[in-house]
Amino acid sequence: MEEKILSRKEFLRLAGLGVATLAVSSLPKKVYAYKEKKKNRKFRFVMVIDLRRCVGCHSCSIACKVENNVPLELNRDDRKIFWNQVFFKEEGAYPYVKEKIFNRPCFHCDNHPCVNVCPTGATYHDEEKGLVLQRYERCIGCRYCALACPYGVRYFNWKKPDYGGRKEALNPDVETRYKGIIEKCTFCIHRLERVIEKAEKEGRNIKDEELHYLPACVQTCMSKARHFGDLNDPESTVSKLVRSGRAYRLLEDLGTEPNVYYLKEA
Amino acid sequence: MKLTRKEFLKLVGTTAGVISGVNRLNKFAYATTKKSKPKFKEEWIFSCCNMCGGQSGIMVRVVDGKVVKIEPNPYNPNNFSNISTDFFANIEKEGTCICPKGNAGILTLYDPERIKNPLKRTNPKKGIAVNPGFVEISWEEAYSEIVRRLKQLRDNGEAHKLLWFSEDHSFTHIQDDFCKLFGTPNYSIHSNLCDTARKASFKMVMGDERPLMDSFQSKYILLFGWNPLSATKWSYLPRIITRAIENGAKLVVVDPYLSYTANKAQEWIPIRPGTDGAMALAMGNVIIRERLYDETFIKEWTVGFEEYAEYVKDKTPEWQEKITSVPAKTVERIAIEFATTKPQVVDVWSGPGHHSNGVQGGRAIALLAALVGGYDRPGTLLIPDRKGNKHIEVHPDETAKKNLKEKRFDELKDLYPFGHNSGVYCEIFSRLAEGRGPYKPKMAVIIFQNPMMSVPGTKTVEKALQNLEFVVVNDIFLSETALMADIVIPGTTYLERYDLNTHWVTWPVLGLRQPVVKPLFGQPTEYEFVCELGRRLGLKEEDGNAFFWEGRISGERIEDKTKWYEEYLSKELKEGEPKITLEELKKLPGAVWVSKKGTRYEKYKDIIPQEKLADTIIEGNIVYSKKKDGTKDKQIGMLKEDGTVVRGFFTSSGKVEFYNSDLVKMKDAWGKPVNPLPVYEPRRWQPDKEYPFYLINWKEASHTHTRTQNNAYLIELKGENPLMINTETAKKLGIKDGDLVWVESPYGKVKAKVKLTEGIHPEVVGLQHGFGHWGLGKTAQDRGTSDAILRPCLAEPLSGQALHKECCVKIYRA
Repeated sequence: MEEKILSRKEFLRLAGLGVATLAVSSLPKKVYAYKEKKKNRKFRFVMVIDLRRCVGCHSCSIACKVENNVPLELNRDDRKIFWNQVFFKEEGAYPYVKEKIFNRPCFHCDNHPCVNVCPTGATYHDEEKGLVLQRYERCIGCRYCALACPYGVRYFNWKKPDYGGRKEALNPDVETRYKGIIEKCTFCIHRLERVIEKAEKEGRNIKDEELHYLPACVQTCMSKARHFGDLNDPESTVSKLVRSGRAYRLLEDLGTEPNVYYLKEA
Repeated sequence: MKLTRKEFLKLVGTTAGVISGVNRLNKFAYATTKKSKPKFKEEWIFSCCNMCGGQSGIMVRVVDGKVVKIEPNPYNPNNFSNISTDFFANIEKEGTCICPKGNAGILTLYDPERIKNPLKRTNPKKGIAVNPGFVEISWEEAYSEIVRRLKQLRDNGEAHKLLWFSEDHSFTHIQDDFCKLFGTPNYSIHSNLCDTARKASFKMVMGDERPLMDSFQSKYILLFGWNPLSATKWSYLPRIITRAIENGAKLVVVDPYLSYTANKAQEWIPIRPGTDGAMALAMGNVIIRERLYDETFIKEWTVGFEEYAEYVKDKTPEWQEKITSVPAKTVERIAIEFATTKPQVVDVWSGPGHHSNGVQGGRAIALLAALVGGYDRPGTLLIPDRKGNKHIEVHPDETAKKNLKEKRFDELKDLYPFGHNSGVYCEIFSRLAEGRGPYKPKMAVIIFQNPMMSVPGTKTVEKALQNLEFVVVNDIFLSETALMADIVIPGTTYLERYDLNTHWVTWPVLGLRQPVVKPLFGQPTEYEFVCELGRRLGLKEEDGNAFFWEGRISGERIEDKTKWYEEYLSKELKEGEPKITLEELKKLPGAVWVSKKGTRYEKYKDIIPQEKLADTIIEGNIVYSKKKDGTKDKQIGMLKEDGTVVRGFFTSSGKVEFYNSDLVKMKDAWGKPVNPLPVYEPRRWQPDKEYPFYLINWKEASHTHTRTQNNAYLIELKGENPLMINTETAKKLGIKDGDLVWVESPYGKVKAKVKLTEGIHPEVVGLQHGFGHWGLGKTAQDRGTSDAILRPCLAEPLSGQALHKECCVKIYRA
């Protein structure tokens, strides 16, 4: 599986870069507008993934699939939908060899090529939380966004969703999708909203520890390599990790301003 | 974490139904849902996983009676750490975890291909690729047919001709009781397919079957053939290892294959399969030569050091290089690093254990820990305090007693000097197939086991099952073994039944598995099935007590089998360490009982108080507890030279044993005297011109043994098990990545897809265990390769461990 997807990823990246260049060429104005907005934004939810800790167990991928009613595809590797995916790449020669492990949710870019190219406004940027989300009923399945996304995190439903034996046992908090539309990671927004709502009700700010295990992938992570929190809170775990000097973002030079940070292995 | 969790749960109850179809047309689908009211009933139930044998705690979300999500139990140490101080201090802060299999459990529960009704074979011919012609029958018919057969055996004085097989973590006590009351000594469980070689190695060296590594507090972690970061039997393993590395520990993994663990290690040392013992002896040589051993510990707490030192004198790093292919310089360096970085832990699991020299090899590795005083101290190998529920002894009646006097069919006690009470599957099946053994068994009941794929030597197992008169299989799928059965009984998943799980940490912890939904098809759970058989057979205890009717606490006759079993468990809890009832256990946070005592170290120094000594038996310098009838029971301590009585180690000398002269009196299953030293002897099957490659297999986080391959989530994740070949080797053979090849041994040949890698020893090929199904279900079938057919059905001669990795093959393009 890994290999085929890797090559697909590479393909998408290449193809995506083409579109992204188009998208990026219209960026400057938007970057400016965005930066203004960012300042005033209430939350800045980010995920931090510690690559030193990640052991490549795939627990995040499966927890995500179960939580978000993600459909199954058992036969075609290139049509599998994993909102969160783990990749391996072998480096070096025997016996000095390592499998580099990398895992990838949606990056929820502040400056989002996918939103910029969407012709119907199906995919949009939630200003309050800073997340890139999707209105499924507006999606026309043109897949511009999938091409534009430089990270390849948008997945198309090529067929009627297959839930295996759990058709009757889906998570009622998450809307199901249908054939012909795009879907992707939401940072488990349905879980996030509960916490925001509760804090609002009680008239207080969200506590850092309420966010720690919020997305299903973060909660289940076996080596606790994933962290989630609000970057606007300078005392939050994620803020401290982002400041640690080990943090970087993927393809940062594209100017997409992703909200997923990686901590370097060394 | 606790607080957050509570808050989270409370919230779930009040604001459920966040996104539903109603909101579809709203402009901001996610923002306008706040006022929606719950449209469904939901609850969270704490339980324990059983997707593998690790028993991690889970928290199951049940909506309108359906399981919709499985999450880690935030109170269960098995999901966090095996050390109590770490657990109590950090669990709330860091949170718990479960593995991909645990997450995917929901699709095993709701697998459309589960067996729903009892099935009866109509085709008398049995075999691989033979259609059994199963027809559905009523429960009444199934029970009466099975009971008729069982009754016949028992009435004819042949109760011992019933073979019983089971998994080793679930509903074991009641099956054991059934076998005793029925009168068969042939109750065998899965362990001897797993790690009985390791159990024997450590038992010989330090008297405990399963020490656990405290990697969390360690500074140097040396692992031989163990893959804890992916074969995550206990969910805490990835955390305690990656955390140790963060805290400055060095992780070194010796393994022919770049396992996930080797991949995260600072150093991977590829080695020829089955030669780990030689490397360990050479390390012993260096440590003694450089005088880096723990002199005080050795003097006070070990025996036989002189003999060991003498033996390893010529086992130099250069000597081992020819055997293991590991450079002498590397061994020299690793030995010195290991001995000088404290605290250090060394461990070995099933990699080296699945070869015919596995026990002695493991013993040489276990002795490295002895050299540096690495037992039961922080950051080393700990002796777990395994107190939990108590298995209460049953007293069989006269009929049963007569049959229980018969030998086990595998002659475990006579043949395998360090055999495990789980039996020897390989011996049982090869004897059945070849018509050997003390008698001819007639019937088998196989519960939650799939020996057709999990025991080496598929053809032998096939023949063995053909030679039985009647086979009953209880499983959730039509496994390869179920396809050989005369009657198949639908089983239950772990989400539909009870179990008590004494947990795999170093201090007493007990987790409850409880039904989160009722059995989907109204079928009985495995314990209810056994109970029903017992009732219909009218099995009684010695004193006439109708065991399967009488409530163990109330003493009353209980019609409802579930209620009866709840009392059975309650009694075990009451009499055991927790001293609470089942109902009380259910109410504990996370339905897990955690002893406050915590992890204790250097328990071997514990002094046994005078008043306790009154009721003991002392033989030589070893102290045993007394049974009710005055005979000697378990070893509890040793008399020291200074006259005090301490716990010591539960070996024959009460100390860690480098050398044991008594061993020479014993013979192994192949008729050879047991060597009193941890000798290195090459395994029996070596590569030759015709079959030049070692074939090994391993486990990964994506699947458990041969039983999860019908789970669509896991198959989507990992749908095949390519044969991994070193790039250089493949080049010489003219094989390219993705090619189909034949893998052939003298026992058979199988087709496999090749994946090239730099991460495997050039003389070795290997694949993940568990694929190549022809049963189970459509999702599992025609995916990957099963290599069990390439091996003989053979066990390690000291421990009875199945030899899953002793195999040589040739490879050519298909």
